[in-house]
Amino acid sequence: MSSSFTTLLSSLPALAEAAVHGGAEGGAHAAPPAKHEVSAKAQSFFSDSHHWAAFLTNSVFVAALVTVIFLWFFRSAMKKPTLIPGKRQNLVELIVDFLYNQVANIVGPKVAISAFPLLATIFIYVTISNWVGLLPGVGTIGFTHHSSGLAGLFATSHIETPLLRPATADMNLTFGLAFCALISWFYITIREVGLGGFLAHTFTPPSMIKGGLRAGLFIIFIMVGIIEIISIAFRPMTLSLRLYGNVFAGENLLHTAGSLVHTGYAAVDFLSSVIIPIPFYFLEILVGVLQGMVFALLCAVFIKLSTGHDEGHEAEEHAHH
Amino acid sequence: MEILNQLGIDWPKIIAQIIIFGIVYLVLSKYAFGPVTAMLEQRRARIAEGEANLGTIRENLAATQAQSAAVLDKANAEASRIVKEAQAAAVAIAEQKRQETVAEAQLIITKAKEATELERTRVLSELKRDFGRLVIETTSKVTGKTLTGEDHARLNKEALSQIG
Repeated sequence: MSSSFTTLLSSLPALAEAAVHGGAEGGAHAAPPAKHEVSAKAQSFFSDSHHWAAFLTNSVFVAALVTVIFLWFFRSAMKKPTLIPGKRQNLVELIVDFLYNQVANIVGPKVAISAFPLLATIFIYVTISNWVGLLPGVGTIGFTHHSSGLAGLFATSHIETPLLRPATADMNLTFGLAFCALISWFYITIREVGLGGFLAHTFTPPSMIKGGLRAGLFIIFIMVGIIEIISIAFRPMTLSLRLYGNVFAGENLLHTAGSLVHTGYAAVDFLSSVIIPIPFYFLEILVGVLQGMVFALLCAVFIKLSTGHDEGHEAEEHAHH
Repeated sequence: MEILNQLGIDWPKIIAQIIIFGIVYLVLSKYAFGPVTAMLEQRRARIAEGEANLGTIRENLAATQAQSAAVLDKANAEASRIVKEAQAAAVAIAEQKRQETVAEAQLIITKAKEATELERTRVLSELKRDFGRLVIETTSKVTGKTLTGEDHARLNKEALSQIG
């Protein structure tokens, strides 16, 4: 955890540099990125950053589109659920059942009831958002000032503000997700073990350690607890940066692979821009689902760590009963 | 702050993304997790019920098979008994009919004998009468005299004694 966080922190200057070169000083009127570069941040459709709708970025737009897709698909699949399922219902049941079993295996069947909806939503939402970023047109069609009229609104070269940007290539989304995960983790933890239980679990030695050794370890565990609290406080950053970094890097990879060849012959350039990224698309499909899984699994592990019963304490409880 | 700006982190955008995520969460909870878990639970209950029913059905099937075997055995025994009774009855009836036929035949023979005897007696008496009449007529013609009642009776008696 700490090593990955260090790696992510060390990568921040590079990301910042990419952001500066990516050009976006504030919306659609920022300097256009180089041909193979992707802006580090989602770009608003409104040039005025103080506009009330300035939060409407190309990433938010894609996130909203993904939400509509979810609404359409799941509503149509589960409109009239039957005991003998149709194809869509079968697919939804397969996904939900698989995810529920995975979550239950990690956090336990009791906590799974409350943790499953959040973790499954995170996994599905992140995975689909990652994959939507691979669709043709995402990041490659948008607005430019190099052309005028409709051609300027939906241009495919010298893009300043892409119309569509992968939702997960936006720190606002990844941080928002991580923030929701943190709040849910805290709620589930307090509900399962109580505030006292959480503090005791974090700051005191396991109950199996008794006597003088326990007293001696107390100060160490308080220090460990403080480190743990700091680690917990940084979880939203680590989670969000990991996801953002992977998807953003994938976008850069695909853009770079698509613009590697410049021969001066339009047909050759076009063919190479189509063929060269193909292997990377398969990689990104894998990365997309892996990142969704990593995000959800880490959240599940965090919940498990804070709600898991102290074995010594549990043994004591059994002895009392 | 510079980093946040470079990465485009902005509270209104974060809140917008959280709201969208919340909508996705609600959509999935309403249209996927809720119905699917309820459906899976219903299916599990149905399967458990089916398994329980399967046990009962197996028991019932075994009982029914045993019952049907017992009924078949009973039916077979009954059928065998009826066949034996029918065979015995057939033998008895055949014997009875045979005896009746023999008795009837005997009766017919007896009646035929009686009828034959009566016929013979009748023919014999007619023969005697005709013979007597012929003897008397012949005697009367041969002798040329008129015979009396005593002659008639004597000649009849002699002729009949000759006939036997």
